[in-house]
Amino acid sequence: MINKTNEFFSIQTTNLTKRFAKKKHKGVLGLLKRNQSRKTDKEKTKVTVALNKISIKIRPGELFGLLGPNGSGKTTMIKCLSTILIPDEGTITVNGFDVQKETSMVRASLGMVVGGERTLYWKLTARDNLTYFASLYKMQRKYARKRVEELLEIFHLSDRADERLEDYSTGMRQKVAIARALLHDPPILLLDEPTLGLDPGFSRQIRRQIKELSEKHGKTVLLTTHYMDEADKLCDRVAFINNGNIVAVDTPNILKTMVKEKENVEITVYEPPADIERHIRSLVPDAEVIRLIPGNEEGNPSRIKIIGGTAEENVGKIIDSLRQKKVRICSLNVGVPTLEDVFIKLTGTKLTEGGIQ
Amino acid sequence: MNLGIYERSTLHSNLFVVWNELVKNMKFLMAYPVIFVFWAIFPIFWFIPFIFQGQAFVGGLQSASFAQISGTGDYVSFIVIGAVLNSYVNTLLYGMGESIRREAVQGTLDYVFAAPCNKAYVLIGKALSESVSSTIFATSQLTISMLLFGMTFTLEVLLPVFFIVILLILGLYGLSLVLAAFTLRYKQSHDVSETIGYFFYIFSPVRYPIESLPSWAQIIGKLIPLTYALIIIRSIMLLGTSLSDMYLEILALLIIDAILIIVGFYMFNWMEEKTKKSGTISHH
Repeated sequence: MINKTNEFFSIQTTNLTKRFAKKKHKGVLGLLKRNQSRKTDKEKTKVTVALNKISIKIRPGELFGLLGPNGSGKTTMIKCLSTILIPDEGTITVNGFDVQKETSMVRASLGMVVGGERTLYWKLTARDNLTYFASLYKMQRKYARKRVEELLEIFHLSDRADERLEDYSTGMRQKVAIARALLHDPPILLLDEPTLGLDPGFSRQIRRQIKELSEKHGKTVLLTTHYMDEADKLCDRVAFINNGNIVAVDTPNILKTMVKEKENVEITVYEPPADIERHIRSLVPDAEVIRLIPGNEEGNPSRIKIIGGTAEENVGKIIDSLRQKKVRICSLNVGVPTLEDVFIKLTGTKLTEGGIQ
Repeated sequence: MNLGIYERSTLHSNLFVVWNELVKNMKFLMAYPVIFVFWAIFPIFWFIPFIFQGQAFVGGLQSASFAQISGTGDYVSFIVIGAVLNSYVNTLLYGMGESIRREAVQGTLDYVFAAPCNKAYVLIGKALSESVSSTIFATSQLTISMLLFGMTFTLEVLLPVFFIVILLILGLYGLSLVLAAFTLRYKQSHDVSETIGYFFYIFSPVRYPIESLPSWAQIIGKLIPLTYALIIIRSIMLLGTSLSDMYLEILALLIIDAILIIVGFYMFNWMEEKTKKSGTISHH
């Protein structure tokens, strides 16, 4: 979209709003209750605001991160941009085209990776998958074949191109999903959690490819993730989204200055007591944020984040106190603030387990 | 605007969509060979008991009383043609809805809808693949029946019969689009397709001449495309009637086809819009 200052934006949303209405399930017993039937349809419906007046502008060639925990509205945003979800209010332009009026041009401008490896035909080969999707992008047969071979080569899949995807690893299928997004060489890529569920090796490969697409090939990339570290390393700018609201937009470095002056202490522990946050607060009363990020069933320890105040000065006191409480300490870090610290400070909410790396 | 290698639709690119959809679905079918063998052979077992029952009633393979109503005493061929054509109804009605459901379960439906090609060509490809598989199954069933019951047909009936089968398939496309629309919105249409299948089975002359039905039921039967296809094909194959003599039935079949296809596309577009608003395309 060309704005008043003649600046072109690859993606621009203005007051984008999406609500989901869900009828409350009454159950069999609920049907028998008279008072239930007296409720109006409005009362029986629960409305969730998935996106609340979102306005963002993404420049051509920019690698833009949309960060937030699960259920924050990231995927809804991607679906609205990709024309598979109709917003309730607001406008969206993609590559200068109105999403609701010039749907076909918007679709031609976008390549997307949403849902990852599950969104391919596992009973077909990588070549068959790519050829099929090439046809959906109106490519001529001869050109489609050439392009498919090119992408198989780029993603190092040529040797196994004629094997069914059910025989591929998760990382290889994710590569096919990204190759599919590039079939029609779109100027804009929407990547929804592209490294989710991948092992560290494949994650690194995928991140390197995303960086290359932006830097070498000039693609505009909208990357959604809840891996703050990934966003920090890759993105030119990031937006934090929480409960359907954008809470901050800027470069990772500028965002981190919001907590830069504050000390950042992170202690990893096993099985901390439930009142640990309150206990540490009593030791460091001037700390700006104290958060317990629980560990997971895979054996990862819990993390205690202390931002601001005299956290560093009181590290010894905190450690002694934890030992007295018989909490097993795994590691201690006094470090520079991360995007995660900024997110915690801005939203006051913890990230989900999956967001912690 | 930079649009990558996006090209405008051409006849060639649209046919490429149809072709790839057809190939994709045929490869799915081949990936499950048991389903393939089942539909090629098993439907025969559904009508064989009727033939033995008929033999028990009339004491042979010809029936004079049956000839008075249907025009042919060869009730075995009558039943076989009915059963084989009815298998098109079963596979086509079930197939399109199931194909949409499968895409939703696989998570590929979002990608199909987010692509810039006209979805009508994807749906035509899906319907075509169902037609090809139905024709393979029908040919297999007919061949086995010919071997089992000694049925014979002249080769010259093949072309007109094929023409009428195409007209039947067109009408069924329309209905299967309605079912695909149902699947898109309500996530399954199996029960509806079963109901329609039984509706056709009762009110169309699949097992008995339409004249056997009460007059009110005959009126309903005459709104069903399968009724006309069965009447025309049996006339050609069993009575030696030419296609031109059946022009009224062909015209009726064409009109029903046109109505069903228009309603089908309208319903699909309507449900697609509703599903995009509710955000449930990929639900299943």
